[in-house]
Amino acid sequence: MTAFSEDQTERYSRHIILPEVGGEGQRRLLAARVLIVGAGGLGSPVGLYLAAAGVGMIGVVDSDVVELSNLQRQVLHGTADVGRPKCLSAKEAMEGVNPDVHVFVHNLRLTSENALDLVRLYDVVVDGSDNFPTRYLVNDACVLAGRPLSHAGVLRFEGQVTTIVPGRGPCYRCLYPDAPPPGAVPSCQEAGILGATAGVVGSIQAVEVLKLILGIDGCLVGRLLVCDTRAMTFQQVPVARQPDCVVCGDEARITELIAYEEFCQMTPRRMASQEVAP
Amino acid sequence: MSEDRAVVTVRLFGPLRAAVGRSEVQVRGGGRSLRETLARFAEDHGDAVRRFIFDEQGSQRLSVILLLNGEPVRESDQVRVNPGDEVGVLLPLAGG
Repeated sequence: MTAFSEDQTERYSRHIILPEVGGEGQRRLLAARVLIVGAGGLGSPVGLYLAAAGVGMIGVVDSDVVELSNLQRQVLHGTADVGRPKCLSAKEAMEGVNPDVHVFVHNLRLTSENALDLVRLYDVVVDGSDNFPTRYLVNDACVLAGRPLSHAGVLRFEGQVTTIVPGRGPCYRCLYPDAPPPGAVPSCQEAGILGATAGVVGSIQAVEVLKLILGIDGCLVGRLLVCDTRAMTFQQVPVARQPDCVVCGDEARITELIAYEEFCQMTPRRMASQEVAP
Repeated sequence: MSEDRAVVTVRLFGPLRAAVGRSEVQVRGGGRSLRETLARFAEDHGDAVRRFIFDEQGSQRLSVILLLNGEPVRESDQVRVNPGDEVGVLLPLAGG
């Protein structure tokens, strides 16, 4: 068993005195590998809290560069980072918080070709992406690879969070079998997002990831937490695994990753009448 | 109270809230199915709102989670909504 250095004992002291964490839990965090998809409004608080908690290996997938309009909520990045790859500023910010943490940069767009290989390198995945094709891709990759996934989405003052543990509860497709019609659901760019709302929701994701790593029960498995930070209400919606789910159901039709842009363009009727071909 | 005057509260979330501009609306006509209640709500708010809930053939989309008094409901045409009930319409959020 690796002993903590003097600095580590002090750095993690508030964790170590928690009965739910202790020295063993802290060692588990230091040995854990978490992949964050999207270094944006959700990925920022997740990344900072996981780094501060001492999660030893954090991967960041993002192919964007930092824009000035990101900085109102994407607290991983600073003004001097505008124009730089988000992955790089995310790495610097997280490793700056805690030198125990190694951040692996995946400066690429997650695709059906690379997602499974990437997800399999990590113990837990965080979806902080900003579009439906990526959300379905991340879900399917995690279900197929058997990796737990923290899912969240935000808009304006609202957020939705759930935790997907393949084999133990519903997946994202059990909640939303179809994507909304193209163009119906506005992005944060179109409809706005209160920066701190993304902070609240991303912080909930970070708690969920830490609980998954530490083996603490009470995760949002089978529950969708619907957060309204304007009314400041948090409503739990029970959600069940659907036996007819195309990816985690009893007779799953999706056994390898598909074309997600096309899937999200499809109308439900076409989807129902077509084979889900890879 | 006659069924036509009875009121059901429809709570709106995410993009639907943004489209309607309110977090909840009152719909007349308790005693109908959940599907009929939603159709009446959609009638009152135009095609852009209807498109969130129903497809071109009038079928309920699988991209919405319907709640009746906080509990999810899958078959909206088989569930009766009573006066005073609260219906919730959840849509996924893309933003991150």
